[in-house]
Amino acid sequence: MSSNTEVPEVPADRSAEDATQSAPPTDGTNTPLPRPSDSAAVEDPPPALSVLEENIHSAKTPGEKFFPSFAVTEGLEEKANERIAQYPDDQKRSAVLPLLHEVQHRFGYISPESIDWVAGKLDIEPIKVVEVVTFYPGFRQKAPGKLHIRVCRTLSCAMGGSYELMDKLCEIAQIDRSASDPHKDPIAISPCGNYSVEFAECLASCGTAPVCLVNDDFHEGVTCDKAEELLNSYQNA
Amino acid sequence: MSITYKPGKKPHPNEHRLIFKNVDRRGWNPSIKRYLKEDGYKTLKKALEMDPKDVINEVKTSGLRGRGGAGFPTGIKWGFIPPNNTKPVYLICNCDESEPGTFKDRYIVHQDPHQLIEGMVISAHAVGAHTAYIYIREEFPEAAITLEKAIQEAKDNNFLGENILGSGFDLEIYIHRGAAAYICGEETGLIESLEGKRPYPRIKPPYFPAAIGLYMAPTIVNNVESLCHVVHIMRMGGEEYVKLGTPRNSGTRILCVSGDVKEPGYFEVEVGKVTFRELLYDMCGGPKDGREFKAVIPGGSSSKILRCNESFKIGRGDDAKDMDFWDIPLDFDTLAAAGSMAGSGGVIVMDDSRRMSWVLNNITHFYAHESCGQCTPCREGSTWMKKVSDRIEDGTATPTDVDTLEQIAYQIDGKTVCAFGEASAWPVEAMIDKFRDELVGETSEDNNFKSKERIEQERFLSSV
Repeated sequence: MSSNTEVPEVPADRSAEDATQSAPPTDGTNTPLPRPSDSAAVEDPPPALSVLEENIHSAKTPGEKFFPSFAVTEGLEEKANERIAQYPDDQKRSAVLPLLHEVQHRFGYISPESIDWVAGKLDIEPIKVVEVVTFYPGFRQKAPGKLHIRVCRTLSCAMGGSYELMDKLCEIAQIDRSASDPHKDPIAISPCGNYSVEFAECLASCGTAPVCLVNDDFHEGVTCDKAEELLNSYQNA
Repeated sequence: MSITYKPGKKPHPNEHRLIFKNVDRRGWNPSIKRYLKEDGYKTLKKALEMDPKDVINEVKTSGLRGRGGAGFPTGIKWGFIPPNNTKPVYLICNCDESEPGTFKDRYIVHQDPHQLIEGMVISAHAVGAHTAYIYIREEFPEAAITLEKAIQEAKDNNFLGENILGSGFDLEIYIHRGAAAYICGEETGLIESLEGKRPYPRIKPPYFPAAIGLYMAPTIVNNVESLCHVVHIMRMGGEEYVKLGTPRNSGTRILCVSGDVKEPGYFEVEVGKVTFRELLYDMCGGPKDGREFKAVIPGGSSSKILRCNESFKIGRGDDAKDMDFWDIPLDFDTLAAAGSMAGSGGVIVMDDSRRMSWVLNNITHFYAHESCGQCTPCREGSTWMKKVSDRIEDGTATPTDVDTLEQIAYQIDGKTVCAFGEASAWPVEAMIDKFRDELVGETSEDNNFKSKERIEQERFLSSV
């Protein structure tokens, strides 16, 4: 997780070592976790994220420049009302997934502000939106690349060579996947922000393995020798 | 780019196409115009004139068994709605197709959406639902658009909406997109997800969806393929439909073959009329050159793996007979007797180039990722199985690790709220049962695995 660079107290020569050296006290065994209310009074940047903050936090990524920042537009409002109308009046909460899809489709990822907006729109507590966002692998909390590629890794595709495809894609797009974790942080982004990759579980096209999704486009039979061709086909996108 | 259709690709002679009649057909498109040209929605008109009870009876007569995985008779499921019910009834189409190895619903929703809608309207009429949802997985963005368009077309033609075809029956169908969670394919998990929550499955009893489902009201959840079958049952009549297939396994079903065969693909066959030999050698072109078949997962990755050189005792008592793997017909009952299940029809084939430890590892990774985390045995067990199978796969395991893995699996099986526990444990149990020697062969007595905790403990003790 990258730290918030906007904090005013940080001196101009923000060195990472300084920050970590001032941190040890909080790592001690007996020190309680910093509470949000305390952090304002105590001046030790960067403020550690509370559990709740960490759950809604959106790490900065190179892909951000391709997505507009969250704003409630007329189109979004209209689409949201349309979705809410699909469910009984007293069951507005059902529209959590459709609304989050609308947000993610427009803004690339689910930001803390958008969680607040969805919660307000449905008259539910924000935590009820957060629990949904953090559960489903289909929702991401940081901006992906301009082209987000989801490669199927499940049995039939793996037999067809999806791991090789992933390696090839990472090689071409210069993506380092070593820090990705299938649960916490499945998405790896190229330094230029143009590409991001993620392993997905079964995309339900096992007969044409290996398969992948590029944004919303589905591609079949993408063996690793076709990786370059696949990325090139989006050159003008 | 996207999905390649094969217009004009002839179905295999062994096939009997009902549901897939229009898939890959030359000159076919998913518009309502094209569907109406082939007597589309005619069956709906006929069904709407019938009493809902008669429609249910017709489906009961047909013997249709759910095509989503469990194989539960659809007509009987419909009959579970409490007769004194006063709440609204909901119909949900389960299009979360996420069982590894299964790819049948994809073609229905992409290429023939009106067949599904017609099936849903008939089914909703039968069970008395006026609101229906199609829960479609997030990974089918194109299909969600196709279906939404199809729903609009159907509305414009009064096949949906108020007073459908003058019958006085109202129905609205809405699309609800999931978000890439396997557990949403479990019907109570799906309902929780549709209610806007984490898809933690509900415990049965009391939460049988037909009695207490969506918004605590009676809810019928059916697979895409099952709902499409309803159209054909009403068109042909239950009596006629039951003649397809074999007794207790009526109708047709779609088998999806993937993995190490020459020509993987989808085949709609009469249930129980095709054996593994016919399917894998005649219809899929046999093994890849220079290879031999080694093992088959017959019904999606949750079903128990079968060895190709096995033979089974099928039947009870005096009727029992030995059956070679290759002679097993792919129906619900025979596969169950062989110790596996027909599941969702996803046949995954492995040839002799595959290491079983690698296959096992891939499967355990899937279940560790997809466990919803509600029940401790499954949440902890699936991750634990993943860790042990990681060791077996990379050759750092000891022979006792195989036993550990087996023990973990048997401690998940049957101890969870939903069937995910079995789904994650069965493949591991079966793999160890059938390929124990191979797995043990990849371990070594010399390996000495130490957990992080153990290493920490030793470090602490050695410094004293």
